[in-house]
Amino acid sequence: MATISVKSEVTGSVWKVEKAVGDQVAKGETIMILESMKMEIPVDAPEAGTLKELKVAPEEPVEEEQELCLIET
Amino acid sequence: MLDRDLIPREMEGAGSGDSGSGDANIDEIHHRRRMAEKMGGEEAVQRQHDAGRLTVRERIAKLTDQKSFREVGTLAGSGEYDESHRLLNVKPAPYVAGLARIDGRPVAIGGEDFTVRGGTSFGALRRKGGQGGFIEDLAHHYRIPLVNLVDGAGGTVTSAKRRGYVVFPGVDGFERSVELLGEVPVVSAVMGTAAGGPAGRAILSHFSLMVRGTSQIFAAGPPVVKRSLGQDIDKEELGGARVAVDKAGTIHNAVDTEEEAFEQIRRFLSYMPQNVWDLPPVTDTSDPVDRCEDALASIVPEKRTQPYDMKTLLGHVVDAESIFELQPTHGKAVITALARLGGRPVGVIANNPKVYGGAMDADAARKQIHFMELCDTFHIPLIFFVDVPGFMVGLKAEEEATLREGMRAVYVAGQLSVPTITLVIRKCYGMAGMATCNKNDIDLKLAWPTGEWGSLPVEGGVAAAFRREIASAPDPKTREKELEAELRAYASPFRTAEAFAVEEIIDPRETRPVLCEFIALAEGRVSADLGPRRKAGVSP
Repeated sequence: MATISVKSEVTGSVWKVEKAVGDQVAKGETIMILESMKMEIPVDAPEAGTLKELKVAPEEPVEEEQELCLIET
Repeated sequence: MLDRDLIPREMEGAGSGDSGSGDANIDEIHHRRRMAEKMGGEEAVQRQHDAGRLTVRERIAKLTDQKSFREVGTLAGSGEYDESHRLLNVKPAPYVAGLARIDGRPVAIGGEDFTVRGGTSFGALRRKGGQGGFIEDLAHHYRIPLVNLVDGAGGTVTSAKRRGYVVFPGVDGFERSVELLGEVPVVSAVMGTAAGGPAGRAILSHFSLMVRGTSQIFAAGPPVVKRSLGQDIDKEELGGARVAVDKAGTIHNAVDTEEEAFEQIRRFLSYMPQNVWDLPPVTDTSDPVDRCEDALASIVPEKRTQPYDMKTLLGHVVDAESIFELQPTHGKAVITALARLGGRPVGVIANNPKVYGGAMDADAARKQIHFMELCDTFHIPLIFFVDVPGFMVGLKAEEEATLREGMRAVYVAGQLSVPTITLVIRKCYGMAGMATCNKNDIDLKLAWPTGEWGSLPVEGGVAAAFRREIASAPDPKTREKELEAELRAYASPFRTAEAFAVEEIIDPRETRPVLCEFIALAEGRVSADLGPRRKAGVSP
């Protein structure tokens, strides 16, 4: 069991959160979608696991490198 | 000539095999070679292994073709003699150098021997390696690639005591290192902790790499940082791959093991000509040049705000398994990769819509500039896969001099002489869009039907250009949308093709056959245009 921190690659805002805490996610599955430079930027799970914690909510601004959620593998 | 009486007894019987040659001088060569092969001694070699690192001799053996290493300077070192001038021992020079072959092609290769005084410079009449070292002369005179295996911290203040004076910076200058960058491929692999001269030498290369966890690079290490700034920071935090590769782009690629580093060096060189007077090597490929890929027809989402995977797209176009990405973890808004089309090396520059919509930031601009200069120098045709909304915007971007770095990309693109193909996948806007064309060449601009372009995207542009009209409308939001829809109708790529302002709109499925044909044709042009790249002007 390891906890992976998923970080934002961009500065922008949270547009949609597609998964809820406790959900299973497959590797590469979209957890949330950010909005930056007028584009929808998907945040995909780097590994398969369980979504343990969400650190952001829709419409919240995010910075590059900001932690978005935790996945337990 | 060496008097036979002066040879120590254990040397009797020395030779290439177990039996001596019967000639004292020849025996002495082999005796001295064996001393060189011991490097810094068993303990020092063990320490190097315990740190998870190979010795420089093991590195050369693993990287190059079997038994291809022809060492030069084997006997250089500090000899110890007794009162009657009998040789007791030779401490080898802390640098191992020579000629070798990689995939059958000759290279000059050398590296610091960390087991001998930490790879620091030694007091000889001529430097073996590093800037101004003999290894650089080998690469220069024979016009062959240079591979630097960097594992040393450069000068040490103790050498001043030995010499009796301090050396002026630049006595062993970087002139030859600089000259080589316009002549032959130069690869630097940082295999240990590099600071000072070796760190600087590592940067003066076309392709550099380091090993995550076991190598670090910085201008100066933790003790100097502590003394100068009072900061406590360990060497991995200061100059590990996370900082030097991912964040700063000081070094191009990071790998997990030394073996992987050798693999990447071989891979990089496989795309390179031996020098700027040679054509890039063409290899056989089983991937048909007329392969059409149906997946390309639908890879770009209809919804303009949705990104797609540019790397998957590239994989469908170029020869199977031929993509080798440079700087994959830095400046990710642009992808720079060597690849092949019909077996011919090409340089691919592709915007990545998943990172800031592909907008060019300062890191991406610097990355693109280096790659354009690399391909231009070695006559490797460039293909731009364009999806760029413009320069990155915002306070951070302005603070990072995005406009200046971006215009440097435009400047370098404007000086390219290598054949270039521009293929617009989706967006091509503004000045960043101009950094994807090369009008010195045939200026061939191809586009997919999903292409769109202009001075700036309709969205932001409408708000600025029609500010009063929008503000005075009964429903400003609706009016803005109406104006956007009205202008977007003119943005159809087919209207631009009618005006012959893009040369062809292609069916995405036929991308590979079209590109393969133009790249094969480019070879004739390139072969008429070999030699060093011209230098001109002042980069902004």
